[in-house]
Amino acid sequence: MDKDLVRQSFSYHGPTLLSLVKCEQHDHAGFRQLLGELSKWPQYRKERNLDTIEIQQFIARKADLLFALSWKSNVRENAESQESSEGCYAVMPPLEQFMEVPSTQKRELFCRDVERGDVVIGRITSIRDFGFFMVLISMGSGILRALESLEISALCPIRDVPSQSNHGDPLSYYQIGDLIQAAVKDIDRYHEKITLSLHKSSLPSHLSHLKLGVISSEDMPEYYKHSTAFSSSSDTYEKVLRQSVAFSNPSTVEFLLSTLGIDESKPPSLIRGLQRENFCDQDYAPFLRRKQSSSWALKCVKMGVDYFKLGRHVDAMNEYNKALEIDPKNVEALVARGALYATKGSLNKAIDDFEIALENCPTHKNARKYLCQTLVERGGQLEEEDKLLNAESYYNKALTIDKSFMEAEEALNKVRQCIQKSFEKREKHEEKEEKAKEKKIETSAEKLRKLLKEEKRKKKHKKSSSSSSSTSSSESSSSSSSHKKHKKKRSRKHSVSSSRSRRHSSSAPAREDEQLTPPADTSASFLKQGDCRIYDSLDRSHRKSIEFKSRNRSLSSSSLELIDPAGGRSEDSRDSYSSAKTHASGSTSKSAASASKYRPSRRDSTASSSTRAEGKYRDDPKDRHKDSKTSFSRKSDSYHRKYSMSDCGANERKPCDGGSRSREQSLQRSANTSRKEAPNGNTATSKDVPGNLLNILNQIAEFKKEKGGQTKI
Amino acid sequence: MASSSTTLPDKDRAAKTHFRIIRFIMEAGVKLGMHSIPTATACTVYHKFFHETSLDAYDPYLVAMSAIYLAGKVEEQHLRTRDIINVCHRYLNPGSDPLEVDAKFWELRDSIVQCELLMLRLLHFRVSFTHPHKYLLHYLVSLKNWMNRHSWERTPIATASWALLRDSYHGDICLRYQAQHIAVAVLYFALQCYGVDVPGNESAETEWWKVFSEDLTRETISCIISELIHVYTMDTEIP
Repeated sequence: MDKDLVRQSFSYHGPTLLSLVKCEQHDHAGFRQLLGELSKWPQYRKERNLDTIEIQQFIARKADLLFALSWKSNVRENAESQESSEGCYAVMPPLEQFMEVPSTQKRELFCRDVERGDVVIGRITSIRDFGFFMVLISMGSGILRALESLEISALCPIRDVPSQSNHGDPLSYYQIGDLIQAAVKDIDRYHEKITLSLHKSSLPSHLSHLKLGVISSEDMPEYYKHSTAFSSSSDTYEKVLRQSVAFSNPSTVEFLLSTLGIDESKPPSLIRGLQRENFCDQDYAPFLRRKQSSSWALKCVKMGVDYFKLGRHVDAMNEYNKALEIDPKNVEALVARGALYATKGSLNKAIDDFEIALENCPTHKNARKYLCQTLVERGGQLEEEDKLLNAESYYNKALTIDKSFMEAEEALNKVRQCIQKSFEKREKHEEKEEKAKEKKIETSAEKLRKLLKEEKRKKKHKKSSSSSSSTSSSESSSSSSSHKKHKKKRSRKHSVSSSRSRRHSSSAPAREDEQLTPPADTSASFLKQGDCRIYDSLDRSHRKSIEFKSRNRSLSSSSLELIDPAGGRSEDSRDSYSSAKTHASGSTSKSAASASKYRPSRRDSTASSSTRAEGKYRDDPKDRHKDSKTSFSRKSDSYHRKYSMSDCGANERKPCDGGSRSREQSLQRSANTSRKEAPNGNTATSKDVPGNLLNILNQIAEFKKEKGGQTKI
Repeated sequence: MASSSTTLPDKDRAAKTHFRIIRFIMEAGVKLGMHSIPTATACTVYHKFFHETSLDAYDPYLVAMSAIYLAGKVEEQHLRTRDIINVCHRYLNPGSDPLEVDAKFWELRDSIVQCELLMLRLLHFRVSFTHPHKYLLHYLVSLKNWMNRHSWERTPIATASWALLRDSYHGDICLRYQAQHIAVAVLYFALQCYGVDVPGNESAETEWWKVFSEDLTRETISCIISELIHVYTMDTEIP
């Protein structure tokens, strides 16, 4: 209990309150002790109005809360610089001005209430040898009172006036009428004499930024300006308040609460049920939300695990991601997702997840175990890629997490030996390498030449029977020209095409790795791949694919002759294969039709390409012209395919192609669109995904297909 | 309060229910970290709603939840429905785990949103109010400058009057008196409780409370104070 406060209230309300409190608070420990002392205090108070009995009863009933020490506002006088508080609340003229308290009383109260360290502002009235006198007109800090009419004079002795520059007499700097801001140094309350100082040291620490000495009228405090304005207008308090712009500032409440020392997070109340002590921390919104989120996330993880067990990895991944969206630090979800990543071969992602999980819960056994295993596995991968040092660091990491992990230790020892060996070998290698390189290039070039010759020979034979061949030397050239620009997109497209192709030929899932890792020797592997594809599609549509095969070969040869940069082209042409396959594997009648659609235009382009490349073909300018157009339209076509994966029909593309489109092209385009319609939502999703996720996405496509199949059944 | 003068048991029971619900709003508000102004708006919306309709027609707890939600929007302290549901559910089922986020949860959320719409329509979309809070704070600042510093520091006038003001919403005082009048009355009450006189009040031309609100009379002040005291009497009657 706050004894002073209780005494203050009791001496105000008289003995009735005492007896009431005795009656109401008899079982309150704090009061029982206090009341013993209270009865000794002299009770004095004049009679009050009747309504105070009700109030006294109230005070008695709530005495334990009203006089609790915790209610005492503990506001420090914080640095209320003019800048920070400006506009934050309505600065009002002093209350006594509205109340019209007599001047003598105002003066009395000022001298009673003013404190050492307060800042006052006044005007110099006279300058003497021992200092100068000034009449106070305003306060600069603390109690903001109306002083102008009070004629309170104060002395600033010469020893408290700092000397200005090299003037001998510090007082010569000041003139009568100057506005001076000074700190109160001493007060003689009885004689109403105030001594001031211009030394900074007399300011309390929170006001040390204030400038003492001469000020201009613009530096006067805001309340003073309002005060003088009020005395000329004499508006009501409410009118002045409402006119203030700051009054309608919504943050006023917050600002004033903090200056008055009321804490909004623990709002005071006299209702018994609303005492802060009765509230449990676990009933607060943030706690409940966290609890709910984590259980919600766990539910998702459980569902994900169930999916995982059923082999529905995509659904499992979705559930895990949802769980982590709800509760980003959910350890179980992180571990589960990590495990899924690991089984899918995305070891780096798995490692990331496990690491975050361990960070959040260092004692999680599974997280630790899985992380070690994954680190070792990743190390093994790196070893295979001949990145021995990296592998070593992975093994080391695994060991720092779990010292007893034997596998890691073995692998580490092994890798260290390897490193040693390779280090020794390196010097020899380097010498050999240069020579080998030159040789290699020669040999590969020779090989190529041989291959090409063979192709040419074959082509000559076939020319008469099927001049089909190369899908698009023009296409490949056009795409090669745009290759650099669209590297990223191409890779996406590639993924699309591959997923597309898989939908139709799920018979060969093992090939996906082959597809994804860029082949070391592009031409060779490309050919191999192409053949592989074609054999694959051969299963489905027999006759056509044979044509394709030959076409592919010729394509590869011709495109090689055009000397394209390796990487992208193979992908591009692969795209065309897969698309061809799409048709092939569609309904037989359709595939037949589309194949026939394909052929004419292709014949065209092959013709031109061979013309260009070999110069053996008949040189028809018309044909060539047509051909370049074809290539152009194809280019635009391929752009279209890239940018608007599925939704553009033949009609929309018309303006782009212009009127000079040949019939064959339009036919082909319709074929293209029909092909484009085939892919479903997958393509759209794969579009936005970074390249290293392609692996997973491909699998996802596969699963979705399986899922689709299941549901159909 | 109208119900206190007329001793109809129905009205008294309604007043007690409202007291309980407002206490629920206040407690939920604290746990949601709501500021005083949004809380006051929620209470006012609640009182206004049941001023228009009867208690039998709607579940007061649902109305209270919607009032909190609506007040958060009106006063731009946005509260999430999930938090509101969690806190209120915990209040009504102490110690229970938070609700699972399932169909039942979403239904509950929908009903809050629906009820909010109903309230808006019933109140003719007039849901912004002038609260006494801002007035009170400015009165306090003016008073602080006029009072002796030590006397001010010794006496928790600001805290007490703020508590009284917040507690006043347990009755429907906010509907029947001007904001300024309520602000002055709680300040007057707080000063009385601690036995503090405003310096120079007796010799002044205008008494301090008259300065703050010209059209205020001493009768109004004592009316508000006695209604406030009645609210606290209910506090002792309602567990």
